Amino acid sequence: MPSTDYQGSSSPLTNLGRSFLPLRRDQVHSMESPIGGSPSNEAELESFQRQVADRFHDLASVPSDELLSLPWVRKLIDAFLCCQEEFRVILFNNRTPVKKPPMDRLIADYNERAVKALDVCNAIRDGIEQIRQWQKLIEIVLCALGGDNNSYQRSLGEGQFRRARKALVDLAIAMLDEKDSGQALAHRNRSFGRHNNSSSHSKDHHHRSLGHFRSLSWSVSRSWSAARQLQAIGNNLAVPRGNEVLATNGLAMPVYTMGSVLLFVMWALVAAIPCQDRGLQVHFNFPRQFPWAAPIISLHERILEESKKRDRKNACGLLREIYQMEKCSRLLGELADSVQFPLNEEKEKEVKQRVNELKQVSDAMKEDLEPLEKQVREVFHRIVRNRTEGLDSL
Amino acid sequence: MELPENPNKDNNGYESAEKIILRWDSTASEDAREKMIFETDRHEADLYLQAVDEIQRSLSNASISAAAAYDQSKVNSTIQIAMARLEDEFRNILMTHSSALETDSLFDPSSSSFSSSSHHELEEDDTVSNEDSSHNGLLHFQFQHCESSDSSTYRSTSSIREVDLMPAEAISDLQAIATRMISSGYLRECIQMYGSVRKSAMDSSFSKLGIEKLSIGDIQRLEWEALESKIRRWIRAAKVCVGILFASEKKLCELIFECIGTDIDDACFMETVKGPAIQLFSFAEAISISRRSPEKLFKILDLHDALMDLLPDIEAVFDSKSSDSIRVQAAEILSRLAEAARGILSEFESAILREPSRVPVPGGTIHPLTRYVMNYISLISDYKQTLIELIMSKPSTGSRYSGDQSIPDMEFAELEGKTPLALHLIWIIVVLQFNLEGKSKHYRDASLAHLFIMNNVHYIVQKVKGSPELREMIGDDYLRKLTGKFRQAATSYQRATWVSVLYCLRDEGLHVSGSFSSGVSKSALRERFKTFNAMFEEVHRTQATWLIPDTQLREELRISISEKLIPAYRSFLGRFRSHIESGKHPENYIKYSVEDLETAVLDFFEGYPVSHQQLRKRSQ
Repeated sequence: MPSTDYQGSSSPLTNLGRSFLPLRRDQVHSMESPIGGSPSNEAELESFQRQVADRFHDLASVPSDELLSLPWVRKLIDAFLCCQEEFRVILFNNRTPVKKPPMDRLIADYNERAVKALDVCNAIRDGIEQIRQWQKLIEIVLCALGGDNNSYQRSLGEGQFRRARKALVDLAIAMLDEKDSGQALAHRNRSFGRHNNSSSHSKDHHHRSLGHFRSLSWSVSRSWSAARQLQAIGNNLAVPRGNEVLATNGLAMPVYTMGSVLLFVMWALVAAIPCQDRGLQVHFNFPRQFPWAAPIISLHERILEESKKRDRKNACGLLREIYQMEKCSRLLGELADSVQFPLNEEKEKEVKQRVNELKQVSDAMKEDLEPLEKQVREVFHRIVRNRTEGLDSL
Repeated sequence: MELPENPNKDNNGYESAEKIILRWDSTASEDAREKMIFETDRHEADLYLQAVDEIQRSLSNASISAAAAYDQSKVNSTIQIAMARLEDEFRNILMTHSSALETDSLFDPSSSSFSSSSHHELEEDDTVSNEDSSHNGLLHFQFQHCESSDSSTYRSTSSIREVDLMPAEAISDLQAIATRMISSGYLRECIQMYGSVRKSAMDSSFSKLGIEKLSIGDIQRLEWEALESKIRRWIRAAKVCVGILFASEKKLCELIFECIGTDIDDACFMETVKGPAIQLFSFAEAISISRRSPEKLFKILDLHDALMDLLPDIEAVFDSKSSDSIRVQAAEILSRLAEAARGILSEFESAILREPSRVPVPGGTIHPLTRYVMNYISLISDYKQTLIELIMSKPSTGSRYSGDQSIPDMEFAELEGKTPLALHLIWIIVVLQFNLEGKSKHYRDASLAHLFIMNNVHYIVQKVKGSPELREMIGDDYLRKLTGKFRQAATSYQRATWVSVLYCLRDEGLHVSGSFSSGVSKSALRERFKTFNAMFEEVHRTQATWLIPDTQLREELRISISEKLIPAYRSFLGRFRSHIESGKHPENYIKYSVEDLETAVLDFFEGYPVSHQQLRKRSQ
């Protein structure tokens, strides 16, 4: 147990990073804490903070092309599940003080936060389903242009291109963020309009598809908002005061930590995956004294930065694969618009290249989407179970 | 490049087929765009399909020569045009026949749950003490209605009833189109389009059934009464959804796609139904994880039973590998509901133990807590069939050796052979009594404390006797114990009040040794009478305002009092009145006749105040 450098500063929180008990050990003992103040759980608490920090350092140390990729998101959720499990163990090992005030209130607060995260989990599950729908459209494109392995290599004809273009248009519409549908629809019409149907027909067709996609997209009510939900999760998430830390024998710290981790992970998921009203303006304020604060803040900044980039501002989700999907399909669409029939060898090679790129994205998604969905569901289950256990132990 | 002349009949067939396809290219002509083939004309439709077949045939027949390569591209192009057209036609037919189901007619009255007459009348609690009921969750809840178990006493058989969602002609058209689309490799388009149109219809049906899109947060924020009615509605709607809507969709998919390939009809079914199914179950899931409080028990049990009934149908409808997640989710929700029920029961037991109200019920009558708890466990015995299977562990009781004064203990030895549910019910009664004992201590008057216990334990006994299921579970042994308890309380009351009153009427201390003439100390005698009168008046005044709600019990106690009081007074009067009457102002001392006392006893435990004058008037 490293000795604390308590320099008699007036704020008891100055040395938070070093230990949970902001005062010297002998001062704690002499203060006759109601729990008896034995620092036997200090090692446990410190180890928890360290492990959280390690995990997020790991997550933060990826290059930018890996950030917010499907594998990264899966890693993020894994990290959350591990943190939560360790948190649960701590609560279990400290069953008795957990039931006493103010710890009982702190735990109840955390559980309330966690329950709010359940709706986010459900929204994310919806979003994953949406992505799956897009991916199915891509499969049509691949099927049309020989990207799937089933069709033998035929030379690409006008028919196949028309088929692909139709699917690409549908994909573009499906990927529109709700807000921008009107404007982007016109834009898409223009970019896909040349070899395509006359504008009136395409508008009908698009409106019909749009209607379909939109009305079925969310299984939540129109008034549900991911942004609001995140704000509710982060509501009143405050660093524990010195007296709280003492009164709970240091246990207030892991509770705060877990709450912060929960908030960040949910926020990151909302950033990555499409859901209704995806606002990212949640206020994060983690004191740098915590070892995990730096990596989380850094991730937060990087993700926010990503969301502000010109070509990602209107994205319906910051998931890297969504970006790739959108880019590849757009490029392919532009290429498809510009080809003359019959294709010359160069064009054909170009098309095949783009198709391959698209296929890679599609394959990557196919592999990771289902496991991701299962993981999100697991988060849901664990939150429910931990809450139930907490209730039962009363 | 010029095509070689081919006088082959096939080629002509191909050319005319191509012509038909191109004629209906909606990108090429206004006319083609406006009309739908399958709506227009049976004959047109047949011709078109034949044309498609012809083109497909030529595609597979095409030789792989350089010349044919150009052909192939053209053929592909034609196919694509045909597929685009067929897609539109397919969608059009689907949308024409995809309105929401008329759901009102689907609620089969014979399969809906019936509510038997509520076994437990709402106990009007008119003597609500001024408890801090706002802080006391347990007392705050009054039984609004005791809708006894609908579904728990009624295990339904399968509610699967497939209805025809589309006319047969439409189905055969769809099948014809789908066959061609799929054989041309346009399976994905087919599935996606089918799913999106049918899902839209399902959405409308859902709205009609009153299935809402509620988040877990929404449900948490709702008042329980509002939730109760939503649960009721959900139970009815879920039966229709699973048994009729989903089953019919499955049938439709089979009709359209099965002859093409079994996986395909499954894929279309899942595409249509997966989202709605998840949405349907999300409500039950949200209920299963909502905060637990005692009043929720019965509706949660209703929900549990309804879902349990639905499980076989769910398994029948969602029987493929791709629908695993739905079956799994339903099973999870069921087990969470069971857990919730167990947790609520446990929470209920703790709540009784902790129930903190300290303000004593005026008049020592039945405490609202007692009413609430006994009503509650009577209802529990109604749900016995379900609960017996759900409740599997014994209650966690205090141990005899724990020394924890705040928990009663219960010896289970004599309760061998009882189901865990029965043990819980007995435990609840034990805990209730324990709490009542604590409350009785807040009465300043010990007699009132005893009366209070007597009233409440008697009420418990009456309630148990009044319900055969409850009685059977509690058992006559324990019932006897309870009976003994309230009789004991009655005895303690009598001792507490009347010993000192009757003490005034004792013989000792009145006789003075020495003088021959009187032998009785007149002053002592006068004191006795005065004391007796004062005491009796006080007791009368006070205990008239006390209440024993049960008529029979009230009578019995009064009789018991009279049996001791009246003979004692009569004999006292008989022996000593002459001494008083021979002195001054006898009326100051002998205020009451025996009849007066007899009448006065009738005032006891009525719950009404009596005035001193009333007592006096009678004596005039």
